[in-house]
Amino acid sequence: MDQDRRGQWLRGVLAPCVLALVAERESYGYELAQALDAAGLGPIQGGTLYPVLLRLQRFGLVTASWRDGTAGPARKYYRITADGRETLRHATADWQEFSAGVASILREGR
Amino acid sequence: MNHDGWLSALTHELRRRGVAGDAARQVVAEAAVHLRESGGDPMRVFGPPAAYASAVAESVGRPRRRPGEVLLEARGITKKYGRRTVLDDVGLVVRSGEIAAVIGANGCGKSTFLSICAGLTGADKGEVRVRGSLGYCPQDGGTADFLDAGEHFALIGAGRGMAREESARIGAARAAALDWVPARGAQARHLSGGTRQKLNLVLTGLGEPDVLLLDEPYQGFDKGSYLDFWHQVWQWREAGKAIVVVTHLLNQLDRVDTVLELSPARKAVA
Repeated sequence: MDQDRRGQWLRGVLAPCVLALVAERESYGYELAQALDAAGLGPIQGGTLYPVLLRLQRFGLVTASWRDGTAGPARKYYRITADGRETLRHATADWQEFSAGVASILREGR
Repeated sequence: MNHDGWLSALTHELRRRGVAGDAARQVVAEAAVHLRESGGDPMRVFGPPAAYASAVAESVGRPRRRPGEVLLEARGITKKYGRRTVLDDVGLVVRSGEIAAVIGANGCGKSTFLSICAGLTGADKGEVRVRGSLGYCPQDGGTADFLDAGEHFALIGAGRGMAREESARIGAARAAALDWVPARGAQARHLSGGTRQKLNLVLTGLGEPDVLLLDEPYQGFDKGSYLDFWHQVWQWREAGKAIVVVTHLLNQLDRVDTVLELSPARKAVA
């Protein structure tokens, strides 16, 4: 995929995607980066990911706590809040509507 | 750059941008864990320390203390030079723990307004009330050509009731925070414009005045020192001072509490 285009798209959807992943279960930065990569969004660097997590935390959509991992070092784990779930619901509905619109236009123009 | 070097540079750059203490420790520790698990060059994973620190500072926002009592109140300030009205019924209220920015085009009376607040210029109409002590940093001047930095610290400190050693210690620490180590015997007239402004700024803060009036004090600063300047301003805000900064740079306006825009025309609006 064209990297510029991927970067631009990511800017719009990275926060809701991160929110959706921590809604499934609490997680930490490196694990989230791996999950996003595995889902096909491509490698997300720390310099991109952590500012998103900090913003989610600042607006009360996730909370964070430092804990020892089962194996390995202490990590900062993120967990979604009630406000976060509410935001995720809206974002998901909005995205479905928006992406359906984009998909139909791109189909027409083919 | 190795991990430790990059992480320590990150700590420094975060501090410059007002992210310090526990918040900074967490950001650095999280980056350290990530690097350990992912491997790779921190410059690729996180980018240059300064850029990453900027992204972090923007994301965490700025924790705020609650503004306190009114320390500076200017009301109905009107000033004419001949037939030209420079300031027309301008007002500003700044509380303890607040930063006010005074903005506007060149020649719209920003410096005049600040000088009136400082009591150095008389107004034709209006009133300024200051609660507590006052520090004023002019745009230029304010230093004595034939004195070195240490002598300035002693002189201004003495005027504010400080012992010589205390003035020297605090002056040196504040200078270092602006990335400047004053050399003994280097007279002010031989300092660069930017360094002289650093001296001016340090002098303004000596003795911890309650109200700080700063007239574009960062002229001639490089980018790093400019960030250090804002860090100092935020620290003053945290310490409960009332700060007025005259500026024509708009990129810091989200970091201040009140904005007073002076119009360049004959009529100034608050």
